Amino acid sequence: MSAVEAAPRVEGRSNRGSTTWMVVPALVLLIGFFALPYLTIITMSLREASTRAVYGEGFTLAHYTTALGDFYIWGILGRTLLIGATVTVISLLLGYPVAYHLAKSRSRWTSLLYIFVLSPLLVGLVVRTFAWMIILSNNGVANQALQAVGLIDFPLQLMNNSLGVTIALTHVFLPFVILPLLGNLQAISPDLAMASRSLGASRMRTFWKVTLPLSMPGIQAGTILVFVLSISAYVTPAMLGGTGGRTMSVLVVQYLVDNFRWPAGAALAIIMAAVAVIFVGLYLRLTARAMRRLP
Amino acid sequence: MTGATSGVEKTIWDRLFTVLVAAIYIFLMFPIVLVVLLSFNSGEFLAFPLEGFSLRWFEALFSNKRFLDATLYSIQIAATSTIVNAVIGTLAAIYVARHATVARDYIRLIMTAPLLVPEILTAIALLFYFYEIRIGTDYSIGIQIGHIVVTFPYVFLNVSSALFNFDRSQEEAARSLGAGGWMTFRRVTLPAIKPGIITGCLFAFVISFDIFNISLLLKSLGSNTLPLELFDYLRFNFDPTAAAIASLSIFMTFAAILIIDRTVGLRSLRF
Repeated sequence: MSAVEAAPRVEGRSNRGSTTWMVVPALVLLIGFFALPYLTIITMSLREASTRAVYGEGFTLAHYTTALGDFYIWGILGRTLLIGATVTVISLLLGYPVAYHLAKSRSRWTSLLYIFVLSPLLVGLVVRTFAWMIILSNNGVANQALQAVGLIDFPLQLMNNSLGVTIALTHVFLPFVILPLLGNLQAISPDLAMASRSLGASRMRTFWKVTLPLSMPGIQAGTILVFVLSISAYVTPAMLGGTGGRTMSVLVVQYLVDNFRWPAGAALAIIMAAVAVIFVGLYLRLTARAMRRLP
Repeated sequence: MTGATSGVEKTIWDRLFTVLVAAIYIFLMFPIVLVVLLSFNSGEFLAFPLEGFSLRWFEALFSNKRFLDATLYSIQIAATSTIVNAVIGTLAAIYVARHATVARDYIRLIMTAPLLVPEILTAIALLFYFYEIRIGTDYSIGIQIGHIVVTFPYVFLNVSSALFNFDRSQEEAARSLGAGGWMTFRRVTLPAIKPGIITGCLFAFVISFDIFNISLLLKSLGSNTLPLELFDYLRFNFDPTAAAIASLSIFMTFAAILIIDRTVGLRSLRF
């Protein structure tokens, strides 16, 4: 085709020096105001604390040793990870059927259902968390409903604890597990499942032996996304976590904004990020084994 | 599990599955519908039963100067982020798709990096950085740059995906017919990738309008974005005025979703 022949010629004409300017503004933005700032978290975490300025003269590892020797911080870290893991598992259990349904759906309602999945993602976090406060508060919608049908006599404590944060975060991040899975499931050829069925496997067996293994990349991408997002979430635990549902992000912001302890807060942020990286790394190794048999 | 041998059981499983999926869709939409319902309710409390239709909470909202200021401030920041990213994000996407040879994967990685790390960490990083380079948070420039950085990948990714789907031979045809670089871009490339630019921009606007962590840590004194104002309001008040603000923000989001759905289709979204 002529396009193919023409391609190298056009490539040759546009010498590289004349097009580099196109990417310069974006690179300036992302190196100058994204990559370099991340380095300052590290340097900040090594600064001496000071009562008179943001930080003192010298450098120290004290913020790390203090934080890692503090049972209170370990407790919050543990709670954060527990909430993150619970949200991830529930999101996968709820998200998989929806992704599966959307991938198979041929109905004219499909695009409406797609909006149902997408819209929670685009509605602001504060708004969604506020909605969950209306539902979960002591005289909120959930307690009203449970009392009306006579299941409980007194309101249950559904917020200002880890339970409320877990429920709300599951709603907030559920689309993030559905969308990667949906893309993955749609890319699997329906012929494979059909072949399995025609060879006599039941639908259940076909699902367990064919569809589920093939959707592992989608599961992996979605769960990592939800895990990282939920352990780093700030808005939801800050609004409906109370002290009983306080997580690492809330603690870090408290250090930075309320207590003005920037170096110590920076160390906490890095500990949080390091723990996330370790867990994601372990998870990748675990799931890699399950995915090795894939084509 | 029971196999596929019995037809009756199959339909029961199918029905159970449908009920389960329907319940999850309801779970996804219920909180949003609830907020909208309660914002039009005339009762004093954010609870059921509904007492009747009323616009009083929207009146309360529009007579509140703090909320109006915050809305305008949010629109200003989101619009600036969108315009800046429309230009530099599109240029960068074209460069990566058409011209980048060395380090292409690295460039692509750094262009999408703000999406890959938690927003709270980026906010903390920028807070420290602006202090170190003496920009500080006295002016809106800090919060504005933060919004631009975080929403950049949305424009970049959507334009990249439009470029990827666009048949390059059209550009070459224009070139071989004598059109210059700028002419080719304006008459051929730009119209073809316009849907990607529009989607990316709408996305960037909506995300910037909703961003919280960046705004919380980088805001200058005395100016709140709408999410911050709502957050502060909810610390001391819990009434349907908050639902009215939330409703407005939901309407805006759905308007954007409808525009995207009508122009390019939701499935082409990239994030």
